[in-house]
Amino acid sequence: MITKHKSVTTLAIVALLFTGVACKRGHDNPGLEFAPNMYESVGYEPYRQIKPNPINPTGLNMRLPARGTVARPNYHTTFGKGDSAKTDLMIYNIPADSISIAERVLVNPIPQTEQSLADGQLLYTRYCSHCHGATGQGDGPVGKEYKGVPNYTTDAYKSMNDGHIYHVITHGKGRMWPHGSQITPEDRWKIVQYVHKLQQG
Amino acid sequence: MSRLSRVYGAVALSLALLINGGQVKAQDSSAGADGGSAAATPASGGGGDAEKGKTLFTNNCAQCHSVTDEKVVGPGLKGIEDRAPSRDWLHKWIQNSSALIASGDAYANQVFNANGKVQMSSFPNLSNADIDGILAYIDQANKPAAPTGGGDGTTTPAPSGGGSGAASGPSELFTFVLVALLVVMLLVLGVLLVIVTILSKAVTPTAEGVQPKSSFGQRLKEGLSSTFNNPTLRSIIIWLFLFVAVKETLDGAYGIGIQQGYAPKQPIAYSHKLHAGQYKIDCNYCHTGAQKGKNATIPAANICMNCHGVIKKESPEIQKIYTAIEQNRPIEWIRVHNLPDLAYFNHAQHVNVGNVQCQTCHGEIEKMEVVEQRSSLTMGWCIDCHRRTEVNTKDNAYYDKLVALHKKESKEPLKVANIGGLECSKCHY
Repeated sequence: MITKHKSVTTLAIVALLFTGVACKRGHDNPGLEFAPNMYESVGYEPYRQIKPNPINPTGLNMRLPARGTVARPNYHTTFGKGDSAKTDLMIYNIPADSISIAERVLVNPIPQTEQSLADGQLLYTRYCSHCHGATGQGDGPVGKEYKGVPNYTTDAYKSMNDGHIYHVITHGKGRMWPHGSQITPEDRWKIVQYVHKLQQG
Repeated sequence: MSRLSRVYGAVALSLALLINGGQVKAQDSSAGADGGSAAATPASGGGGDAEKGKTLFTNNCAQCHSVTDEKVVGPGLKGIEDRAPSRDWLHKWIQNSSALIASGDAYANQVFNANGKVQMSSFPNLSNADIDGILAYIDQANKPAAPTGGGDGTTTPAPSGGGSGAASGPSELFTFVLVALLVVMLLVLGVLLVIVTILSKAVTPTAEGVQPKSSFGQRLKEGLSSTFNNPTLRSIIIWLFLFVAVKETLDGAYGIGIQQGYAPKQPIAYSHKLHAGQYKIDCNYCHTGAQKGKNATIPAANICMNCHGVIKKESPEIQKIYTAIEQNRPIEWIRVHNLPDLAYFNHAQHVNVGNVQCQTCHGEIEKMEVVEQRSSLTMGWCIDCHRRTEVNTKDNAYYDKLVALHKKESKEPLKVANIGGLECSKCHY
């Protein structure tokens, strides 16, 4: 067969080779899919959108939550058991510029246990340590570049109370920007506990 | 022309070098002059304990101030006593700056406004004697003999280990490239050999002194056709082509629906290698949803601003974030890891409960300049992991009964597959 129709066979082989090579894709190409609608979803997905949404004004599928909405995690507002149970604010409504109110009014509602302190350490490592350093000396790898990160153990910082630290995490202070959107109130209080431990050096 | 431009290039280069050298020299001499003037001023830090002051400075001031005239957060403190109205003013300012500003002090308000209205922390714990010590230390540090500019060293990036690692021995890739090059070279040699044979046959007549029967063109044609008709050569070529073609086609067919290796160019050239690798920012700092919900979440611009409100604001890539914020438009990141709708995946379930590391599925993200899908994310890949992974049942009462039941039936440890990790409806519904 091969000797008889040599030109045809050669052509077919070259064509096959090219189709094979054409399937190799670049880094920018996700490639073929069996059912594209399963990947480029017909329904709304939070982090993938192929075409602009005609219903929402910005063309986005996602919308901002209605004003005054409280995120679900914030519903966990009572801590401890029985008489020692403490209630936390459902919404933290002390304004950003009123740190002195927070210092006077707020007390950590989460009873300090070994577990809560361990949680606090984990959360501190996640959200704080790259600037504030593992021991709170302001020597984290980002902190060195960012500059102006305080040392918790120094005189001006070692006496800062629950409300102060909580308020600073929520709204930021000085060079530190607000972290309230990233850390839930409950997690913030656990971090406060661990920061108190670091303040003692 | 090209020679001329080269000469120009050389001249420009040497000029640039000259100018740079000159600048460095000028800076050096000015620094020297400054040092001299500082030495010439009478020591005004009298009475302060400079040794104690040094400790106090490092603990309380160094985060925001340098002893030189370099601005960190607040102004550099070199020559602070010449600038400030009085030593008494400095005591008041350091102990409670906001009270001094509120009292309407003119210089206090001037300093406050000149430094972007950033409030300086109050240090009520520092006594007047402590502050005198700090001032004495600043004065001492600026004398020419004392080493200055210690802060500069912190900004130089540490040499990355990558370079030395690559240099230590030939990597897998290197060996692969070497072998591939050898094969290609052999192929080229073979082809060249065939061409040379044909051409030499065409050029030199078959016998000495005998007039060639045919022209050069004809002989070339003959040579070519005889090579093409050579059955061994032809079958080698055909089989080679067939093999490559079939392999490529099969690979392509198996690759349908698998996006492994997908690494699209993102709207902002964000580097995980820099942020997660060099600066060791935890994944959860930005991907706040990974521990709590189905999606790991893409950080909103406010999380970028936590650092980039201060760091590298002028970089064109960072400016893209600023533009997005100003225009209130989302940054349109391109999703890399995209499961089809027919499969359910929950981050919290794996990362928080299962304690799976991010890198187990996403590869060494902290070494990626551009994020690439390292795992295939096929069902086989999921199931394989569910079969292998043991469930961490320690100190978790939820699993107690399951473990007891499992022990009755099997001696193997409890795997994800045993608690429903292979059930269809766990992921497909």
